[in-house]
Formats: sequence, C-alpha cells, structure tokens
Amino acid sequence: MSDAPRNLDQIQRWMQAVISWPAGVTAGIDSEAAQSRIPLNSDELETVITASSQMTSLERMGIYANAYYARLLECLSEEYPALVCAMGETAFGAFCMEYLQAYPPTSYTLGDLGAHFPQFLKEHKPPADEDEVNWPDFLIELATLERIYSEVFDGPGIEQETLLTAEALSSIAPDDWPELALKMAPCFRLLQFQFPVHEYVSSARQGNTPGIPDQQSTYLAVTRRNFIVRREAITPSEYFLLSRLQQGLKVGDAITQFAESDLMEPDELGQQLHQWFKRWTTAAFFIGVSKV
Amino acid sequence: MLSDRIAKISSMSSREILVEGRELRHMLKPRLGHENLGLGVGLRTVHFAHILEHQPEVDWFEIISENFMDSAGRPRHVLEQIAARYPIVMHGVSLSIGSTDPLNREYLKKLKVLAASINARWISDHVCWTGVAGRNTHDLLPIPYNESTLSHLVERIRIVQEILERPLVLENPSSYLEFQDSTMSESEFVCRMAEEADCGLLLDVNNVYVSSVNHEFDPVEYIEAIPARRVVQCHLAGHTNCGTHLIDTHNGKVIDPVWNLFQLMHQRTGGVATLLEWDADIPPFPVVHAEVLKARKYMDEHLPVCDQDFSTETVANTSSTAIPHPASFITAEVE
Repeated sequence: MSDAPRNLDQIQRWMQAVISWPAGVTAGIDSEAAQSRIPLNSDELETVITASSQMTSLERMGIYANAYYARLLECLSEEYPALVCAMGETAFGAFCMEYLQAYPPTSYTLGDLGAHFPQFLKEHKPPADEDEVNWPDFLIELATLERIYSEVFDGPGIEQETLLTAEALSSIAPDDWPELALKMAPCFRLLQFQFPVHEYVSSARQGNTPGIPDQQSTYLAVTRRNFIVRREAITPSEYFLLSRLQQGLKVGDAITQFAESDLMEPDELGQQLHQWFKRWTTAAFFIGVSKV
Repeated sequence: MLSDRIAKISSMSSREILVEGRELRHMLKPRLGHENLGLGVGLRTVHFAHILEHQPEVDWFEIISENFMDSAGRPRHVLEQIAARYPIVMHGVSLSIGSTDPLNREYLKKLKVLAASINARWISDHVCWTGVAGRNTHDLLPIPYNESTLSHLVERIRIVQEILERPLVLENPSSYLEFQDSTMSESEFVCRMAEEADCGLLLDVNNVYVSSVNHEFDPVEYIEAIPARRVVQCHLAGHTNCGTHLIDTHNGKVIDPVWNLFQLMHQRTGGVATLLEWDADIPPFPVVHAEVLKARKYMDEHLPVCDQDFSTETVANTSSTAIPHPASFITAEVE
C-alpha cells in the first residue's frame, strides 16, 4: 500500500479508458487516453492494481473490460432482436463494438443506450448508387422500427387521456371541419419504409428466422393502446393525409392537398374520408380537435 | 463512540442536548428506524403478469429505480398497481456516488419524484462509481479505500441526503480487483462512511462472500465489523464460480456459505428487510419466491453460528463468460 494515494479522478479516468478500450486491457493500458492519466506499461500494472494469489492484476482488470462490452451488447441485443436475426450475432456484435466507440453510453438509463443505433448505421452505410436500394437500407429500416417500438412502448401515451370518440367526431358540423386541426396522440408515429420491415420484425420477435423480404414500399402507423405497441400497415393515400394532419394542417387544407395529389378519384374521396376518419379515431390516432 | 457522545452532552446547553439527544436516539434505533419489511423479491418484468394475476403473498418488492423513473408506459403502470398492494423499495445502479463527476441533479430530482409517487420505503444504491467524464459504463466499479476517497464519498452522500430529504442506504458491491492506493479494508471504509455520513447500509451477504473469495479476506470478520443498527436491508443472490474467482451474476440459488453469512447477519442485526435478486436465467416467480423464503430456516435465533461452514462452495455454478450485474433492459411489447 503506497503512502501518497493517486488522485481519484486520475484513477477513474484511467480505469474507464482501459476497460472500455475495444482491443483489450493491454492495448487499453498503452492507449493515449490511459497513458495521459497514469503512464505505465502493462507489466507495471501491479503498481496500480494488486494481484491475488489466483489472478494477476491484468486478469482482474480483464473481468471489468469483458463485462463492459458483454453487458452493453446484451442490452443492445435485447432492444434490436430482429436486427440480430437479420445480421447474425457476429456481425451485430462487430457493429455494436464500433457503435459504442462512436456513441459511448452517457445516460443513467440503459433505455437510452441504443438511441443512436439507427443513426450510426446510416453513418456507416457503404457507398452505393444513389437510387439503389440494398441490404444496408433494409438493416437501417429494421433498426429504425425497433427503436421506435422502444420509444413508443415506454414514452408518453394516451392510457390516462379522455379519447376522442367516433360519436364526438360525427357530431361536428360539416361546415366546421375545414377549419379544424387534429391533435395526434403523443405515441403516434407515421413511418415510410422501402421494405415490409414490420412483418420481418414481428416474425423475428416470435422466434422465427424469416428470409429477407423483397423491396416493397411500406407505410406504417405505430401507436400504443393499453400499454402495448400497435402497428398497422396503411395505404399511401392514408399516409399522405395523416402526414399533413400530423404537421398541424387544418383538415380543409390537408384534404385540398390530397385532392390535388391525384392519389384518388374525386368521387371516391368523400366516402373514403368518412371511413378513414372513423377508423383512425377508433385506433386512437387522434386525441382531440381544435379550431385553428 | 457512544461514550464520546455522552461526554459531549455533559458540556452542552439544554437546546443542544435536545438536538444531540434526538440524533443519538435516531442512531440507536435498529435499521435507522426503518421497518423490517420481511422477505422480498426483486421486481423483474418477466414476472409482471404473474404478480398482477396471482397477487402472491410476498412481503415486499424492490425495483431498479432507473427502469421506472422515466417510464410513461407499461413498466410504470404495472409498478403503480404493485405499489398499491405491496411495500416498495427503490434500488438504483446509476447514482455513481463515488465518481468525481458532479452529481446529476436532474437524476436525483427524478429519483425523489418517483419515491414520493410510489411511497418508496427507502432509496438505495452502491458504494461505487459507474462512470466519469460524462460517461456511464453501467457497471458498479470499485474505488480505492483511503482517507481521501472516504471524505469524497461522505461529502457527496450528505449532499444527496439533503436533496432527497431522507437517509441514503448504500450497498457493499462485489468487486474483482483492489487498488494499491487503498489504505484500509472495505469493511473499515464502509463502517466509517456510514457513521460519518450518517447513512444506512444495505448489506449484500453474497457480495461479501464473492469479494472475500476474490480478495482473500474473512467474510465473518467483515460482517462482524459492520455497525448492525445501520443495516437497513440485506441482499441475497446467486453467483458464478469461475475457478480463479467468483462473479456476482444473480443467476441462481443462494449457496450454503452465503446462507450462513446471512444467519450471522440476522443474529447481529436482529432481523432486517431481506431481498433476493435474480437477474439472469430467471425462473418462474414461485421458484424465486421459494428461494427467499428459505431465509426463514436461518432466522432461528437458536442455531449455533459457530458450527456453520462459511467457506465451502456447494453449488457447481460455473462459467467463463459470466457477466456481473447490473444489466437490466426492458424490451418493448408489440402487437
């Protein structure tokens, strides 16, 4: 035991640098991040960490270094099970190692650990022809959807709110509709993908090993009811109109834009709008209306 | 220490005596005045449905604070239902009381709000640091035990207690290394920390056992050194024997030497709220509950402690890829 203990901050910054170094403890001790705190060679480690009769000081540090990546990889695997299924455990693990260098954990909660993973995959997407949809695009979309499931599951919901009913919606005078705006549920998400990733995620989470699906434009509405995340595929027309309503456009303006989009024949529109609004309200996409 | 305080009282004014006396009575209360909640189980998401449906006769539950403090979804909803039926204790893994980073005031504020909303009986965390320079390794990392680090922890515990407006309860961690810069044993450090910061202790007898093997000290001496009346709670858990060392994996049954340490702790404290942690390879709820109920067998005051074996591993729970806990992530439920 030494007479003059090292500064605690110095020890902590050194130890964190060593155990989170991706190439292992010996390389971690040699790293600039560690050397700048406590300059020593790995064979001098006993001047900082004691050995036991069973283990060297290097082996003892190794327990923390192994645990750091193993624990964080376990948590990321639990958040992204479909991505693990699609990538394979080895490739997923390799991406996680790089992810943890780019976005090291800073939050008090493990719920934030994987928050940047979809963004990280986008940043590391290999170059491809601009219009070419490929395998990395599929993986990015999978990660995006799985992260949204996490956020919707544990984020603000509507379970404690008085919901807008189909009856309340029917009671609104037709002349008032154009000037109204709809307030979307805080857990509502509108998503557009190039692959049917929702089907892949569901199948993988049920323990299957689904094949990689063919490209297919996919529009999803994700929300939460009774504390369970619900997702449903919607049509491009629904996506168009819901996205305008989500942006806060007045119902009248949103419908005008939709009519101008030529996504639907004008004579179909009236009937379809009625059915859509009824279904969206039942699905609790909206929690209120307000006059703009 | 008691005689020192009595001598001090003799030279005080009546008002000072009143204040000091109140403190003295407070210190003398077993468990810092907290209730002995009985035998509890760590609340884990895989058991949510069972608990809600069957309302098992469990004395109390302990939650991992960080899994609920930001939740506005099902975990929080389930917790509120369980808190309406059972006493709840909050156990954190990210306070990082030993770090040199500034205390996270926002985190403490959320901790306090959650404690108030579920009527948490007390709030605990670990004698450790989890990260520095803005990082969180999500591991319970050891600190060197010396005068300087002791002052650092004591000061921070006092600040946290002022913010939370309640005594903090701190747990001895399992550890896998020791520092050359340590000048005292872990038990001495923990005892002095508790006395000087006036905080409670969560004595994890499995952690004492794990660390005693890893660092080759006597676990009985450790438990005998702990100020019994400051022990508010006890933890039990399983661990993994890796041959050259033990890892605190919370993945199995409690082994006999740990039960024997529990018995010693029970006899010294007169009984404290006791909880089983099971975090990996989690079996159905009745199995976990049955495991903690085994504690009753060791709560018989007439069992002779001296005949017990504190040193022999009786369960061959071995692995070379064990991960020390905590590792707790709640996966989304999707339909």
